[in-house]
Amino acid sequence: MNNTLDISRLGKVIKHDAMSFFQNLSLALIVLWAIPVAIWLFSSLTPGDGHMETLSRISIIGTLLKIIIILAPARLYKYCNDSRKGIGYAMLPASSLEKFISMVFYCVIVAPVLYLAGALAVDSVLTLIGGPYEGFAITEYFDKLAQLKHFGVESGFMLDGDYPVYEDYAKILSPTVLVLSNILGLLMLSTVFMFGNMVFKKRKTGKMIGILVLLFIVFMIVMVNYVSNHEQYFQQMCEENAAAFFKRLIYFTSRASLVIEAVVSVVMLWLTYYKIKTQKY
Amino acid sequence: MIKINNLDFAYKNTQVFKSISLEFQKGNIYGLLGENGVGKTTLLKLICGLQTPQHGSVTVDELTPSERQPEFLQNVYFLPEEVITEDTTPEKFIQKIGCFYPRYDFGLFNKLMGELEVDLSKKFNELSHGQKKKALLACALSLQTDYLFLDEPTNGLDIPSKALFRKVISQYCSDETTVIISTHQVKDVENLIDPIVILDRDDVLLNASFAEITDKIYFEYGPERIQNAYYTEMLPGGYINVLPNTEHMESNVNIEALFNAVMKNKETIKNLMK
Repeated sequence: MNNTLDISRLGKVIKHDAMSFFQNLSLALIVLWAIPVAIWLFSSLTPGDGHMETLSRISIIGTLLKIIIILAPARLYKYCNDSRKGIGYAMLPASSLEKFISMVFYCVIVAPVLYLAGALAVDSVLTLIGGPYEGFAITEYFDKLAQLKHFGVESGFMLDGDYPVYEDYAKILSPTVLVLSNILGLLMLSTVFMFGNMVFKKRKTGKMIGILVLLFIVFMIVMVNYVSNHEQYFQQMCEENAAAFFKRLIYFTSRASLVIEAVVSVVMLWLTYYKIKTQKY
Repeated sequence: MIKINNLDFAYKNTQVFKSISLEFQKGNIYGLLGENGVGKTTLLKLICGLQTPQHGSVTVDELTPSERQPEFLQNVYFLPEEVITEDTTPEKFIQKIGCFYPRYDFGLFNKLMGELEVDLSKKFNELSHGQKKKALLACALSLQTDYLFLDEPTNGLDIPSKALFRKVISQYCSDETTVIISTHQVKDVENLIDPIVILDRDDVLLNASFAEITDKIYFEYGPERIQNAYYTEMLPGGYINVLPNTEHMESNVNIEALFNAVMKNKETIKNLMK
C-alpha cells in the first residue's frame, strides 16, 4: 500500500471534503456574490448619473475575492487542529499529503475560482439588465491588460504624467508581470491564511490579520528608517535623473515582490503540510 | 498486537506515563480502568497516533501510530468520550467516511442502527446525547476495523442502552477485533471486558485476563469481613472479600472490588500478578 500518495484515496479525500464545502462556505459565497448586486441596486435607485466604472467593479470583485480567500481556510477546515473536534479529521485513513492536497485544492483553487466565476456571472447579468453597469467586467479586465497604457494610468501606476516616463513604466509593468503578480499575490494570501488556520485554534482569521498588520507596521518602520538614513542618496538620485530612478525602483519592487510572493507561498505551503503531519490532538 | 515499550509521556510539566510497558493481544475486549486523570484517554490517543511518545515506542501491528499512515488508520477507529458530530444524518456521515475503510458494511450500519433503536432519518443535532452515542457506535462497528478504541462509551447512556451497548459489542466484534474500552463505570462493562488493564499515575498496576486474575485472587462472598483481605466491602446481605487465592479456588471477578483492591495494595497485587 502506498502510504504517501494514492490517487484513488486522494479522490476519496477530495470527495469527503466536497461534502462539507458548500455546507461551510455557501453562506459566505452568497453574501459576497450579493454585494455587487446591492451596489448595483443602490446605484440604480440613487438619483443622478449613477454610472459605475468597469474598473471600479473589477476592483470591488478583486477585494471580495481576497475576502473569500481569507475566509475559506477557517470556514472549510475550522476544526482540523482542534484537540477534540479535529480527531475525526486526523483519524481519516488518508495520508497527510493527500489531506494537504485536498486542502490546497479547495482553499487555493476551488473557493476563489468559484467565487470569481459567480461574481463575473452576476456582473454580466447585471450589465445585461442595464442601469449603472456598462461593459462587462470580465472582458474589460483583459482589454485593459492588452492596452497597458490606460491600465497603468487608471490604476495609479503613473507617477508624474510625464509621457516618456509613463511609456517606460508601461514596458516594465508588462501584462505578464501584472497577471503573474496578481496570481502570486492571491496565492500568497491564500497560503498565509491556510497556515494561520493550522496554527491558531480560535479566532484564526482575526489573529492572522492581526499578525499581518503587525508585520506591515514593522516593515513600514524599517523602510521609513532606511529611507531617512539614506535621504541624501535618494535626493541625489532624484535630482540626477528622477525618471530613471523611479524606473529602477519600480522594476526592482515589481520583481522583488514576485520573488517574495513565490517564496512566501512555498514556505507557507510546506509549513501547512508539516503542521497537518505533526499536529497533536 | 499493540506493543507499548518504555513509554514516557508528559503534557508540558505534567508527567503522565513514566517508562511503562504494556501489550494488548489481538481479539480481546480490554477494559482500561483507572482513576480520573491517570491517563486512560491519553493512552488511547497515543495508541491512535493522536499524540507522540516523548520516549519509548508504541506500535500497532508493527506500525507506528504517530506516523498516521493510511495503512494504520484504516484499521483503527477511535470513539472519543465527547460526542462531536457534524450537521448531517448518521447515514450521510458513515457514507462520507466509510469508503476509506476496506471492510465497511453499510448493511451492518443499518442493522446496528435498528438494533440500537436510533432514528435513521434524524440529523445528529436532532438526536439526544445517548442517541448520538449509539449512532456513533453503530458507525464505528460498521467500519469493522481491527482495532476499536472506546473512551467512556457508556457515559450518558440510559440503562436499556447500556445493555444494548454490551450486546452489540459482544455480538458484532469479530474474533480478530481488539477493543479497548476506557471507563470508570465498571458495572457497565461487566461480563463484557476481559482482560483488564488498571492504570495508575505513571504506572500499569494490572494487565491480566479474568482467568489469570482468579488464578491468583479469590473473590469471596460471605457473611463476615475477613481481616487479612486485600479489600473488603459490605454488600446487601454480606461482604465481598478480595483475597489471595492460595488454595486455587474458583470464583467470579467482581471488577469494582478488584479495582479497589488493586488501588489499596498497588505493589502487592502488581508483584502477585507478575
